[in-house]
Amino acid sequence: MRNARGYGSGILTAIGAFLVLFFTVGPIVLAIAGSVIPDRIMFASDRGLFDEVTLENYRYIFTGEVPPAYLKSGANRTMISDAARQAPRSLWNSAQIASAALVINLLLGAPAAFVYARYLFPGKRWTFMFLLLAPLVPTIALITPIYMMLQTAGLVGSKLGIILVHSVKALPFTVLILSIFFRKMPHELFEAAVIDGCSRVQEFTRIAVPLALPALAATGLFAFMLSYAEFMFAMVLSGEASSRPASVVMAALARNPDVSWSLLNTAIVIAILPTIVLVTLVWRYVLADLVRGAVKG
Amino acid sequence: MWKIERFPALWILPALLPVAAFTIFPIAHAFWTSLHQVSLLFPIVEFVGLDNYVGVITGEYFVRALKNSLLFTVSAAPAVVVLGTAVALFLKREFFGVEVLRSLVLLPWVLPGAISAVLWVWVFNPSWGVINSVLRDLGLIHSEIPWLTQPNLAFFSVTVAHVWTQIPFTVILMMATLSTLNPELMEAATIDGATRLQRLRFIVLPHVKSIAVVLLIYNALTAFTSYDLVYAMTGGGPGTATTLLAFQIWKESFSMYDFGAGAAVTFIVVAISGLLIVAITRALPSGIFKDA
Repeated sequence: MRNARGYGSGILTAIGAFLVLFFTVGPIVLAIAGSVIPDRIMFASDRGLFDEVTLENYRYIFTGEVPPAYLKSGANRTMISDAARQAPRSLWNSAQIASAALVINLLLGAPAAFVYARYLFPGKRWTFMFLLLAPLVPTIALITPIYMMLQTAGLVGSKLGIILVHSVKALPFTVLILSIFFRKMPHELFEAAVIDGCSRVQEFTRIAVPLALPALAATGLFAFMLSYAEFMFAMVLSGEASSRPASVVMAALARNPDVSWSLLNTAIVIAILPTIVLVTLVWRYVLADLVRGAVKG
Repeated sequence: MWKIERFPALWILPALLPVAAFTIFPIAHAFWTSLHQVSLLFPIVEFVGLDNYVGVITGEYFVRALKNSLLFTVSAAPAVVVLGTAVALFLKREFFGVEVLRSLVLLPWVLPGAISAVLWVWVFNPSWGVINSVLRDLGLIHSEIPWLTQPNLAFFSVTVAHVWTQIPFTVILMMATLSTLNPELMEAATIDGATRLQRLRFIVLPHVKSIAVVLLIYNALTAFTSYDLVYAMTGGGPGTATTLLAFQIWKESFSMYDFGAGAAVTFIVVAISGLLIVAITRALPSGIFKDA
């Protein structure tokens, strides 16, 4: 703390921090607890919750070894489902789709962001306005027509269709964020380059891109994140079970009455863990700068 | 900044065209479909004018779903903005562990709706949810509070869950806006003897007012068009208590296969969203496009 504040203020800060932490992370902690407490303990009111903490659900999902508890009685046996074992695979699918969206976003978005940041041209205002407002059109309204479009193109039931939609949905954000970064670069650099005879393409590839590499990586991560969380398009466009991304598999698990509560929670924890890495990266490399007042340019 | 005389098509269009194709075409398509009878059950497509709209509006669910959606919007949007602003103000302070906390606050944003829904069922489930368990252990209640099965409580529960998922975006924009506040102004006010509350009231809040309006409209838009979280938590029930307009579209199109009616609901949602989008452009600080 920079200024020496009173002792009471420190306590208030701690309480505030705890409240924020409790509200955002509390539900996630619940899922972690639920994943290690077997259902029979959870739903039995006479047993202490943490009497039989076990990682057997995790072992089942990754190795297929059915926990002994499920084998004991016939009734419980049905409470385990192969569907939960799709979790690791679905994360891999999500990673592929999101990475492709990341690359496409940078390839298509960076040049546009560059000219928006550096040049005045006819049509600039309304095209930028359009990009800014396009993401506001509700997904639910777009789903049927886009589905029909992609069906005509033969892209339904493959990862390709999902990649396409996720890329396009993130593009406006990519252009917006990157143009902020490009605008912050000292314009003397570009002026010097032009005097030395650089073309616009060279300005972009030799100066803007190398300088913006961290920003490009970060903005790409942002597109990655949007793709990871997207559900609606992923659901209607995905094909057979083995190629579905995490959001779709999780939704199916949540509605599958054959999956025990602790198994569902285990799958959810497995899906949440990579996102913790993701938000840390996105925060450090994209948002920290924007939020620290570096925007003025 | 340099001027180019010609529109730099090669630079811009690769980004602009796909976005346009995935926005303008679908809206036009929905409008066309809403004026025709398009159904899997009757394979003949025919122009029916406004029949779909009339059918939908006079249908038994529409008014209820519209009411629910509007109520959901006016309760969720202000809650998101107020809580998000409070969290943003708090996270601007520097204290031990604040960096970690700032990252963690983003978490709800990254989670697919289905996952958030399960997390909140954990909290609200009447028989083994955390709230009831804690209240029972403390001896405060003797019978279960029906969080997800009594209409008003179910509505409250899904609103809380929705607010949780929407707060991160508001926190980020608010923190970005707060960072543009001139620190000298704050120092001057402190030297002049302004208390912390006065500084908040007379300097900070006026500074963030315009972005708060934008966020309010934006959140109204997301609440009005949200679908997956609420549906995964309650399936629209009990009864029709949490049935929102957005999954009415889904129901008409994909479970009744009446695409014409689905498109009519879609177009009503798009029209209302359109009004909100126009409101956003009015509310945006006018300088934002100047040298964008």
